[in-house]
Amino acid sequence: MTSKDLVLESASDRTIRFERDALVFMDQLYAAALRYTRNPEDARDLVQDTYIKAFTSFHQFEEGTNLRAWLYRVLTTTFINSYRKKQRQPLIANNELEDWQISQAQSHTSDLGKSAEVEALENLPDSDIKNALQELPEEFRMAVYLADVEGFSYKEIAEIVGIPAGTVMSRLHRGRKLLREKLADYARELGYTTDAKGENS
Amino acid sequence: MSLFGAERIGCPEVLASIVFIIEDAIEQVEHPDDVRNHISLCPNCSRQLEHEQLTHTFLVDALRRACVEKAPESLYESIQSQLMGARSSTEVVTTFSMTEISIEIDEFGNVEHREVQIEETHVQHINFDDGLPGGKIQ
Repeated sequence: MTSKDLVLESASDRTIRFERDALVFMDQLYAAALRYTRNPEDARDLVQDTYIKAFTSFHQFEEGTNLRAWLYRVLTTTFINSYRKKQRQPLIANNELEDWQISQAQSHTSDLGKSAEVEALENLPDSDIKNALQELPEEFRMAVYLADVEGFSYKEIAEIVGIPAGTVMSRLHRGRKLLREKLADYARELGYTTDAKGENS
Repeated sequence: MSLFGAERIGCPEVLASIVFIIEDAIEQVEHPDDVRNHISLCPNCSRQLEHEQLTHTFLVDALRRACVEKAPESLYESIQSQLMGARSSTEVVTTFSMTEISIEIDEFGNVEHREVQIEETHVQHINFDDGLPGGKIQ
C-alpha cells in the first residue's frame, strides 16, 4: 500500500483495521507496561496512551511490516519520554556500558553452581522472578524483557528502544547477569545453595 | 591463556562473546572464527557455553511463565470506546501540491530542465475529543 492509498482510506476503515490488527496485542502490551512502570495504575495509563498514539499515527504504519514491533516501539518511546521522567529512575551511566567487554571480569563457573542454578530457576515462584526483574535498572529490564519474554531479536530491540545494536548486546549481557544474581539471592532464601557466580561462597 | 593452539584470543574474550552466540549473532564479534576455534578446543569454555545456553533456556522459560498478564477489562472498554468515537468522527484531509520547474541554459546552449514535485498532506479529525487530552490529536 502506498502512502497515497492510506490517505484515501476513510477514518472509519482505518479504525476498523486498527481494531482488528492492533487490539489483539493488548494483554502483551499491558504485561510489558507492568514490567516497565512497575505498578498497575501507570501500566494502564501507559497502554492507553500507547494505543491513542498508535492510532493517531496509524496512517504512517506500513501494512505488511511488523505491527507488533511497531506497537512496542510506541509503548517504549512513550514510556521513556513521559513515564520515566515521572518515576525518576536513576539512569546507568553511558560510559559504563561501552567498555563492558574489557572491564567485565569473566571467569568459568564451578560445576556445582550450574545444576543448582537451573534447578532454582525451575522452582522459583513467579513472584520472586517478577521481583528480581523489577529490581533491575530500567535499561537492563527493558532489554531483557524485550529479548527473553517477547522474543525480539537484538536488532529489533535496537529499533524499539532507539539505541545502537551494540548497546543492546551489552545491556542483555549485563542485565541477564544481574538478573541471575538476584534470582540466586531469592533461591538462597528458599534454601537452594546456588553458587551461580562462582564467588562469595 | 594459551590452550591447545587456541591462544589467539583468551577465555575472557570468549566468555564475553557468549551473549552474541545466544543471540545468534556470532558474526558481530570481532573475530568469530577465533571464538569458534577457541570454544572447540577449550573444554572450560565449551562447558561454560553449554551451561550458559541451558541456563538461558531456563531463564526464558521462568520469565515467560512469570510475566503472563491479562489486561483489565476496563482498559479494553475505555480504549474501545475511544476508538468508537474516532470511527464516527469526520476526517478532513488537506493536500497541498506544488510543482517547481527550473530551466537552465548555459553558455553552450545546453538546456537543463528540473521538476520537483512537493506534496503535503494533513489529516485532521473532528469530533474526536471525548475523553482524550486535546493536544494529542493532529
